[in-house]
Amino acid sequence: MALASAGAAERGETVAPKAQSSRLAIGLPANWRQLRKFDAHHHVFLAGRRSLSDWSEVDNLIEAADHLGIERLFCSRPITAGVRVNIDVVRDANDSVLDAMKRHPGRIGGYCFVQPGNGAAALDEIERTLAAGMIGVKLYNQYNFTDPIIFPIAEKCLLHRIPLLGHSGHLTDPKARAAQPRISDALDFCALARRYPTLQLILGHVNGGGDWEWAIRGIRECPQIYLDTSGSGLDDDTIGRCVRAVGPDRVLFATDGTMEGCVGKILSADLTAAQREAILWRNWQRVLDQRLT
Amino acid sequence: MIIDVNACLGHYPFRRLRHNSAAKMVAHMDRNGIDRALVSSLHAIFYRDTQSGDEEFFDEISPHRERLIPIATVNPKYVGWERDLADSVVNVRVKAVALMPEYHGYALNDSDGRGALAKIASYGIPVVLRQRLEDRRQRHAWDRAEDMTPLALLAAARAHPNLKFLLVNWLGLDGEKLVEAGLKGRCLIDFARLQIIYRKDALRLVETLGIEGLAFGSHMPFDYVGPSLVKLANFERLFPAELERIAWRNASDFLGLA
Repeated sequence: MALASAGAAERGETVAPKAQSSRLAIGLPANWRQLRKFDAHHHVFLAGRRSLSDWSEVDNLIEAADHLGIERLFCSRPITAGVRVNIDVVRDANDSVLDAMKRHPGRIGGYCFVQPGNGAAALDEIERTLAAGMIGVKLYNQYNFTDPIIFPIAEKCLLHRIPLLGHSGHLTDPKARAAQPRISDALDFCALARRYPTLQLILGHVNGGGDWEWAIRGIRECPQIYLDTSGSGLDDDTIGRCVRAVGPDRVLFATDGTMEGCVGKILSADLTAAQREAILWRNWQRVLDQRLT
Repeated sequence: MIIDVNACLGHYPFRRLRHNSAAKMVAHMDRNGIDRALVSSLHAIFYRDTQSGDEEFFDEISPHRERLIPIATVNPKYVGWERDLADSVVNVRVKAVALMPEYHGYALNDSDGRGALAKIASYGIPVVLRQRLEDRRQRHAWDRAEDMTPLALLAAARAHPNLKFLLVNWLGLDGEKLVEAGLKGRCLIDFARLQIIYRKDALRLVETLGIEGLAFGSHMPFDYVGPSLVKLANFERLFPAELERIAWRNASDFLGLA
């Protein structure tokens, strides 16, 4: 894999002149806000929804996206902490995402969150939300991806050729692992990918807190799995390691709430302009273009 | 001009780092428009004899003293630490001293921690407290350290009212509690793990501590520098008149770099 050297100037891109009153743009492309960006992994109302009329959280998200030049954000509202709930709670969560999509049409896209344990109702929920405009399915940590209970969800995604985004992590800290006993790591994703070789599977937040080096090495042999670049970790060379391991076409820009950090990671990474453009939006567009609905 | 108050040099036992020698760090700073950086030694954290790590670190950065501002690291559980601290302050003229209690087996509020904080205060220079080096969720089996807690920080601030605190790589600080602990005007916090837009936790700290409480920091070479450059650019967009304070002046004033 040929990689460009680090730094905007070394990539032959325009950088802000040193004579400016501040030198902030050095190390960042001068037009970094204008670079097209689709955020493949974000959330709305993750901490709950205070009232149906309170849009401050969603509007704040769009304001931040405007600052960073993020054109579209693909959001879900998963039930977290491993809690298993009935389908009514799941539907309410998805309805709030649909509301956010209506509030900011063309800016917020939606993933349908489901709990596979809800069985046929979960599959119906996917149909309902796809009909309402959602573009994919989000799974959290209620079930490991090697659990057969996941298979009908994967088959539903295959039927519609929609992406399946999974919460992931190889947690090496005993306390963190105890808190998420059924979390799926890269090898679990690979097991699902081998069962369904054409499934568009996304390993969520490579920098989400677990051992990201392990994750990158783990999915090298599973060519249809995408890595999303989100997470609170900003570890140097993560993006370069992703590209060197799986190629630039399997890496998706995403933030999962770490918006400035995750934009900055891509801008700092050792990428050619074409690789960066692929990661920032073209790869995700290709995923979306596969959909039948 | 940009001064980065959150940087390290050396090898980290559990992950390969780039830009981690003095020469590589300066080249990295050149590429990213960072003029000066406050740096400490990773070797000083992990060697049994902390001071031998600092001695090789001071030697390594000596050709780059215009760009790299050294921080000493002290382990108050190791023999002769007070003498070593005096050497670093008087002869090397370090601008601050780092404590790493989680890595050296003591607490800020036990006799070792209290003694170290008091001694640093007696020299009139800030202590550097780094909440963590890496996310614990990816820890190596030999990495037993926990994140430093806001509670431990607040207790230390109350117990040492004349000590200044440089707080790097922190998340989860409550500005009002910092003010209650008497830290307004005697702490400087870098935004490597904070956000200017969206979560806006950096701005909430400014609301309570004042603009003088926030500074540019990147946590290089552990982290990409781009995230902090983006935050600085966003800060400039929102508060152009205050940019200089965040980019370098607060750090310069706090550490007496002029």
